[in-house]
Amino acid sequence: MINNKTCKMDANQMNRYLSAIMDLGELLLMHGAEVNRVEDTITRLCSAYGFIRSDVFTITSSIIASAMLPDGSTLTQTRRIKERDTDLGKVEMVNGLSRKICGAPVTEEELLREIQKIRQGRTVSWPVKLGMYMLISASLSVFFGGGTWDGIASAISGAVLFGTLCVSSGLKLNSIVQSMVCSGVTALAVSFLVKIGIGIHPDKIMIGNIMLVIPGIQLTNSLRDMINGDMISGLLNMSEALLKAIAVAMGFAIILIFGGV
Amino acid sequence: MGFYIVQTVMGIIGSLGFAVLFGVIDRKLFWIAAGSGIGWAVYLLCAARGYGMFMGLFGASLFVGLLSEILARILKTPVILMLVPMLIPEIPGGDLYYTMHDLVQGHYVEFGNSSNQVLMEAAAIALGIILASYVAKFVRSIRIHVLKHSLW
Repeated sequence: MINNKTCKMDANQMNRYLSAIMDLGELLLMHGAEVNRVEDTITRLCSAYGFIRSDVFTITSSIIASAMLPDGSTLTQTRRIKERDTDLGKVEMVNGLSRKICGAPVTEEELLREIQKIRQGRTVSWPVKLGMYMLISASLSVFFGGGTWDGIASAISGAVLFGTLCVSSGLKLNSIVQSMVCSGVTALAVSFLVKIGIGIHPDKIMIGNIMLVIPGIQLTNSLRDMINGDMISGLLNMSEALLKAIAVAMGFAIILIFGGV
Repeated sequence: MGFYIVQTVMGIIGSLGFAVLFGVIDRKLFWIAAGSGIGWAVYLLCAARGYGMFMGLFGASLFVGLLSEILARILKTPVILMLVPMLIPEIPGGDLYYTMHDLVQGHYVEFGNSSNQVLMEAAAIALGIILASYVAKFVRSIRIHVLKHSLW
């Protein structure tokens, strides 16, 4: 436990604190939080650790924070976010940690330990992910009017989609190209399944798979960013989501044109 | 009627699947299931009353948005964690597919209709989310204002 008033303001130590705070912001932004939440969290944590002023600017791919110490000197750090994957469980853990710190700031060692714990914390393992891909495709295919066999076929092609996603993420493709390739392979799998007699309506089967690759969280985030006044992030997120949606449609369309489903 | 029940159940399962995929594994799953089921029921109810697709989706997403704002305050968790999985049944994946299909097949009249439909649906959902998020912001600023000026 540290006390803000009596703690000696050592610039080096404060730099390390700011670095840890930026780590938390980076974790939030990487795992799918809105820009507003990232800025808010960093500002709150800075004031909890005794910075008298902090200015944070965040867009979807970078965080810039400049914080002022009580003696008037400022520290600035930036982070560049290259990869993003949605894991709202981690967002929630960071949120809980920041709530705790705002109540009572923890020491540097404990803060670093907590960050490490969140980084290595529980992630969804791949068999669970595979199962969820199959479950989601099957249920949403029936949701949009497919029959039982369409659901089963959709589960199989959902598994194909997951496999393609895993393989292509190892190749470090651009995310838009990746969506296109994955939807193309999935459409191919669906037309094959229909040809061998599993599933009757290829459209219903494919809709179940399309729901998996539609960037829903990005669209929702972009709307919430824009209503919070973060126009740049909102527009960036929305254009990326729209491009992804078009890429998905094109991936399916190529197979529809040449496969004649 | 039977199909609607199956549809709602399937929507709930889809929402739960997305929630687990996004890393939510605890008692919040129950609230997500309830919210997504009731949200789709709101849409079905609006459709049955003859309000049309736009008002139905707008009402459903507004309801889901408000519910997730309230639940997030109660459960002390980020709003998107509740909102995104709950909104899954409202996403117009079907019409998106048919738009693409019409375009690929060269049915341009149908393409015009279906792309119009998708844009309307997306607009309805966006309007619902924006309004819910704005109402939450408004309530918060009213509360802060009242607290600030309640000294008299």
